Amino acid sequence: MLCQNCKRNDAGVHLKRIINGEAAEIHLCGTCAVALGIGDTAGSFSPFGGVQGGNLSHADTRRMSNKGIRCETCGFSFEDIARTGMPGCPDCYRVFAGKLRPTLVKLHGRAVFNGKGPSFADGQEASPDSLSELRERLEQAVREENFELAAVLRDEIRSLSEKEVQ
Amino acid sequence: MSQASSNTQLDAVLSTRVRLARNIDKIPFPVRLNSIEKQNVNFGICRFLSEKGCDLTLTEMSSLYPYEAISLAERHLISPEFASASEGRVLLMSQNEEISIMLCERDHLRIQCTKQGLQTQEAFEGAQIYDELLSSGFRFAFDQKLGYLNQNPKDIGTGMKASVLMHLPALSATGAMARISATASKLGFSVRGSYGDGASVKGDIFRISNTVTMGISENEALTNLKTMALQIATKERAAAEELIKDIGIRDRINRSAGIIENAVLMSSDEMMELLSWVRLGAVYGAVNADIPLINKLFVSMQPATMNVLAKRKLTENERDEIRAKTVKQIFR
Repeated sequence: MLCQNCKRNDAGVHLKRIINGEAAEIHLCGTCAVALGIGDTAGSFSPFGGVQGGNLSHADTRRMSNKGIRCETCGFSFEDIARTGMPGCPDCYRVFAGKLRPTLVKLHGRAVFNGKGPSFADGQEASPDSLSELRERLEQAVREENFELAAVLRDEIRSLSEKEVQ
Repeated sequence: MSQASSNTQLDAVLSTRVRLARNIDKIPFPVRLNSIEKQNVNFGICRFLSEKGCDLTLTEMSSLYPYEAISLAERHLISPEFASASEGRVLLMSQNEEISIMLCERDHLRIQCTKQGLQTQEAFEGAQIYDELLSSGFRFAFDQKLGYLNQNPKDIGTGMKASVLMHLPALSATGAMARISATASKLGFSVRGSYGDGASVKGDIFRISNTVTMGISENEALTNLKTMALQIATKERAAAEELIKDIGIRDRINRSAGIIENAVLMSSDEMMELLSWVRLGAVYGAVNADIPLINKLFVSMQPATMNVLAKRKLTENERDEIRAKTVKQIFR
């Protein structure tokens, strides 16, 4: 069986994950398993890789490679964020919102801001992601074999669909 | 003269601190700015606060000797990270040292307010005054869902780190700190030794701080922290009341007092250990000693702060001699 990630080497790491109650099998070669932060002994997804103590793992970089998009304010690419573990400026959070989301979910869960914002933000409401936007991102995540992001998006789609039905 | 034991559960609490991380929108984080850009950010903030009539002392970190910068960290006025590199960094501080604002640390602004004892709400309000004032002049980076957008993704949301500094000798001596730390961690708090490296905690002084900044309001986080600090203080008291009955512990406390009274040289590590025992004894009536002075000496007899007080870099021997002489004052 070939590795699902590189599609070149034989898969030597076989994992089963439960995503939304459904078992999903993942088959990877040793190199890709390490690169994706799946330890050969740990057997689980590691939220943080070993990149300079940052919050984003090298695995995140590879999976979420953004093909040259850069933040206009600071010039950071997503690879730069992953390398340093930190966004370069506040706008990075907006430009790379989708790609940063899995890491933010790892750090903060599904929680959203519930504190006291600055006065200029009073009365503004957060714009929720639409179902179509979420589905589009899910498709992209599946194409990139980004299983963690896909699981997060699937949950969000399910929760939003349930709300709309109600 | 000596301080009588007040014996309240708050004896364990030394101070409370609230720190707010803020960034100006559309400007890269300090790590992505060159020194001129950092100066521009700093200048803009300083000019604004000056125009608003704020009475804060400005210190360019690059103008300080390394020991002066480290002393500010020993006194908890800045973060160790802020002391470690000086280029393009400015400290604004109120005269009573309750307010300190770090410019171009990891974030453009770290607004900090420290209060003595357990005063979570008061410390937050102190920091909030400057937060609100600055947000009237600068558009802070903010998102309705993510909250304040700060350099470290862990700090987004409220951007608030509230902490209580506590002296916990009985819980340390009974080996309970590891368990408390693990429980606190599950509840969204971190418990760390304030002095010493991660492996050994000097003086049994711990900082308990919130780690949750999303999905929770500042007030909820402050209330939770206060509750956690009170619970730990209650546990410390219960442990101390048992411990103090042990003749071996009373011997340890009195031996520590004896060494302090007679020592000619005293290292910083030794002082932290001896003062911790004597403070435990003083709080629970086993010895007579000035508790507020002990609290001050934990800080003022740290190596870099001693250099600052002496206005020169002392040798290790000179520091140990001055320390041994000064620490005796807790019994006078």
